[in-house]
Amino acid sequence: MAATAGKLPKAQPTIVRLFHWINIISLFGTIASGLQIYNANPVFGGREGIHIPWLFTLGGWLAGGRNWHFALMWIYGLNLLAYGIYIFWTKRWRDRFVDDRDLKALQASSNPKRKAYAWHRLVYTSIIPILLLAIASGLSMYQPVQFYWLSTLFGDWQTLRTVHFMTVPLVLLYTLVHSTLALGIGDGKIATSFLNLKSSDR
Amino acid sequence: MNEETPAATGRISRRQLLQWAGAGLLVNAAGTLLYDPIGRLSMPVNEAFQSLILSSKPTPEFPISAIEPDRSIVNSFRGTPAIDLANFKLNITGEVTNPLSLKMTEIQQMPVTSMTIRQVCVEGWAAIVQWGGVRLQDLLVLAQPRSSAKYVYFKSADGYYESWDLASVVHPQTLLAYQMNGRDLPAENGAPLRLASPIKLGYKQSKWVTEIVVTSQLLPKRGYWEDLGYEWFGGL
Repeated sequence: MAATAGKLPKAQPTIVRLFHWINIISLFGTIASGLQIYNANPVFGGREGIHIPWLFTLGGWLAGGRNWHFALMWIYGLNLLAYGIYIFWTKRWRDRFVDDRDLKALQASSNPKRKAYAWHRLVYTSIIPILLLAIASGLSMYQPVQFYWLSTLFGDWQTLRTVHFMTVPLVLLYTLVHSTLALGIGDGKIATSFLNLKSSDR
Repeated sequence: MNEETPAATGRISRRQLLQWAGAGLLVNAAGTLLYDPIGRLSMPVNEAFQSLILSSKPTPEFPISAIEPDRSIVNSFRGTPAIDLANFKLNITGEVTNPLSLKMTEIQQMPVTSMTIRQVCVEGWAAIVQWGGVRLQDLLVLAQPRSSAKYVYFKSADGYYESWDLASVVHPQTLLAYQMNGRDLPAENGAPLRLASPIKLGYKQSKWVTEIVVTSQLLPKRGYWEDLGYEWFGGL
């Protein structure tokens, strides 16, 4: 629902804050270990291509990167699945994501706070397709034969690799915009309601 | 909120930057130190998952016009070994009732299977390749594995060694290939005989195979790269 003036956002349920934190940690772990794998044969330019600086990688070498990547993928994927079940089970999907009222507010609202909130909802909704794309393209590369039907949707191998890699800059861009918008709403109270794990206080 | 705090001004202080860099270094070091225990936890799960979803049906193939000879990269751990073709024999031993020792001429008289499939390297690159050769399935029918047979070891002329699960070995597209991209298999690609299969990563596909040993269990040595840290199953 739209936040109206004077109404403070409630603290998110503990399980939602856990989904959010597990997603952040496992997602950045898969990114860093993915960049380690990337360095074995860069998507752009092959072995002579541009390598990722070691500080942004995880695992130390190819086998180490793969160990992390294919361990964290389960945590990342199962966390997202659990969140999906939760949001349908509790019917939160109805008002949790961007909707017509937000789009109307973006076009017509004269209230800058309502507009900022609509932007915030539009942006955070966009992470769902990004996260699903990372899984679909990743599974297509991990098991291209057993998931042949999925893998062929991406065209050839280079396209598939490029799509999977592009989820990294997409997530980084998303993180920048999403955190900026979230911190800007209600003096950061929305952000706190998602990030604070200590108590249910605002 | 204090107007002077970095969060309010949107600027990041030098202290914050140093803290982030320090945390990054710490996580990076932990990632290298802990990859082995992480693998010990996750690899059995991933291998069970891959074994579970492995289909015994052939995977769809590409038209032969789709081959990408330019994309293939030659990897080997000690270079190309010298092989005396006149005296070359492929031995099949271990848990079989009919051990075999076959000359290339005998192998080439067996039914030839051709397939155009994608070769996927653990490094991330892939190439569509046409392979021609004899099915492992057909060779094992001749050697008659005992009921205790569960794994198959492949030993190569250069000292490389690999082991596979039996289900992947008898997959209809697992070949001992002696043709590649419509020609005789080049020496650097594994001539006279190499493994070729769409269902395993490249490091599982031994070149210069001279010996096949059927076993009832996995030995401490499971494969050259596996013993250095790669996953054993390596399925696709």
